[in-house]
Amino acid sequence: MTTVSVTKPSALTWVRRNLFRTPLDAILTIVFGSLAVYVGIRGLLFVFVNGRWEIISVNLKLLMVGRWPADELIAIAVALVILGLWAGLIAGIIAGRQVRKGTSAIEGMTRLERASDLGRRFGLVIATLLLLLSLTDTSGPWLMVLFTFVGGVVGRLIGGQIGVRSLPSWVSRLGIVVMVVIPVWAYLYMASAVPLADWEGFLFNLSSAAAGVVLSFPLGLLLALGRRSKLKLLKGMSIAYIEAVRGAPLYVLLLLANVSLEFFVPAALAPSKVVRAIVTFTLFTAAYIAEIVRGGLQSVPLGQEEAAKALGLSPTKQMRLIVLPQALRNVIPAQIGQFISLFKDTTLAGLALGILDLLNAAGAITQQSDFRGQGLIIETLVFVGFLFWVGSFTMSRESQRLERKLGVGTR
Amino acid sequence: MTPKLEVRNVVKSFDDKVVLQQVDLAVGLHEVVCLIGSSGSGKSTLLKCINLLVPIDAGDILLDGRAIADRSVNPNEVRQKMGIVFQAFNLFPHMTVLANITLSPIKVHGQSKAEAGERAMELLERFGLLDKISEYPDRLSGGQQQRVAIVRALATNPELMLFDEVTSALDPELVAEVLEVIRGLKDDGMTMVVATHEMGFARDVADQVCFLDDGVVLESGTPKQIFSNPQKPRTRQFLQRIVDAGRL
Ligand SMILES: Nc1ncnc2c1ncn2[C@@H]1O[C@H](COP(=O)(O)OP(=O)(O)O)[C@@H](O)[C@H]1O
Ligand SMILES: [Mg+2]
Repeated sequence: MTTVSVTKPSALTWVRRNLFRTPLDAILTIVFGSLAVYVGIRGLLFVFVNGRWEIISVNLKLLMVGRWPADELIAIAVALVILGLWAGLIAGIIAGRQVRKGTSAIEGMTRLERASDLGRRFGLVIATLLLLLSLTDTSGPWLMVLFTFVGGVVGRLIGGQIGVRSLPSWVSRLGIVVMVVIPVWAYLYMASAVPLADWEGFLFNLSSAAAGVVLSFPLGLLLALGRRSKLKLLKGMSIAYIEAVRGAPLYVLLLLANVSLEFFVPAALAPSKVVRAIVTFTLFTAAYIAEIVRGGLQSVPLGQEEAAKALGLSPTKQMRLIVLPQALRNVIPAQIGQFISLFKDTTLAGLALGILDLLNAAGAITQQSDFRGQGLIIETLVFVGFLFWVGSFTMSRESQRLERKLGVGTR
Repeated sequence: MTPKLEVRNVVKSFDDKVVLQQVDLAVGLHEVVCLIGSSGSGKSTLLKCINLLVPIDAGDILLDGRAIADRSVNPNEVRQKMGIVFQAFNLFPHMTVLANITLSPIKVHGQSKAEAGERAMELLERFGLLDKISEYPDRLSGGQQQRVAIVRALATNPELMLFDEVTSALDPELVAEVLEVIRGLKDDGMTMVVATHEMGFARDVADQVCFLDDGVVLESGTPKQIFSNPQKPRTRQFLQRIVDAGRL
């Protein structure tokens, strides 16, 4: 038996072992090392020295929410605080349930460990928020973020208390309804302040991606079940839809949505561009969700359905109570992936439909008389890319974490 | 007296492969029939046919003299009179032990939660599992999981229990606790069909042993006849292999 050395290798040994093991390794290390250093230095110089970020701070509101009327901004603030409370409640209820089931990961962590865990998960988002806030010169955004944060913490504390209790089933059912209604209410509340057609900036990208994913889910589920159906016609139609949509570029579908509706509906009645974008996102994403759900259904062992059948459950109940809950649990990470990709693809709607989304706004502000002809498009594009990256990266990390937690694939 | 369960001339094939050819079997009330035979001989398929999980191609299955494999019969209604336990447990991993057990009583038999819960507690108590009532299946040992699966099948008060190699997926030291449960059911007078590789168990508990070979009931009789005085060479061969493996 070999003994495992526990002494830490010296820095020099580590460098030799990991970077210069063979001549090829040495060459690669030198080439990519110098490249990385060069790019890194140029990047830092750009961000801290050469970059002219005034264009961002002057136009921050336009980039974030477009031409949303200033006296209606309070609607966004109210909705955000409510959503913070909502997200906190959900996180708390989940954590509380884990404590009850004895599967909690945070129980047994010290306060410091928990703080550093949270920091690693959300530090990037928090830092980005602080960065954005530092660019503003009014107190409104600060207060909004502060109250949202407070809402989240309060929600987390209340949710934790709810989660550890086992509630009568009618209460938990009512609770689920409330939790579904809250974000819908927040959405409609904002839409009542400013019509959907005028949602612009980053708000458009975020909200329409969220709406698209939520709406596409039931449709995708139906398509997945349709594809498994014994009814030939239903099955054929589901397959045709899924394959047709998955074969088409989203950009083309968005362009079609822009022009084709006028064929069927008088221009005066035709839905706004934002609605068209959301409808297209929904129809597009549904085809992908259908395939994700189908994979989830296949991942449930056949014995589960057999056992359910043997217990006398009707086919509908077999699906609803036994197969679907397991299938959907298995595909949560893939669905988050779909959301991330839709989130980024919302920039296509800006171009295809002429919506002043974050990307279009970033282009438009470089044409302002103060900034025209100075090549500031680089700064604005970097800013846009950074915001999307922070969002996507954080969601993808959270999704991996969830995946580990659910033990997907390790059952 | 009509037998509790009668299988008559049942034929089943998957695609081109004939898995059951003209199988006959009669199980009297309170009787325990053990199905033995090498793997692939059709034991699982036969049990699933009896429970209508697999449709038969020809023949009849009679429960209390009534043809149940008939198209006019609602399979769910029939299944409610039978319980089946599988080799792989097939507990629902997203539900607690209690929820697993009370699912069918509540959702199929329309019992109240309290009523179903009471019956579940009674059964869990009897099989020494009461302390596991709110655990999830993956936190239980294989033996415990299989006993929960048996309780789940018993929760609707079936008239007939089917067991499909319920100890084959278990570590050797956990086999006894599950077999003990089945012995207890025999003492209660439960009618059972048990596919098993545990020959010692079959010899002790069965009223009738059927040797299944390539989809044919080659030989059947009392445990004594089959184990001490098998008539067919194939049966002798099979039993010899079991003896050689040290399992009899
Ligand atoms: N769903 C199925 N499709 C095709 N072949 C099957 C299916 N189920 C079982 N078989 C085949 O039927 C035969 C009998 O299987 P089974 O009843 O499981 O035997 P046993 O339980 O005695 O091991 C095997 O050859 C098996 O491959
Ligand atoms: Mg088998």
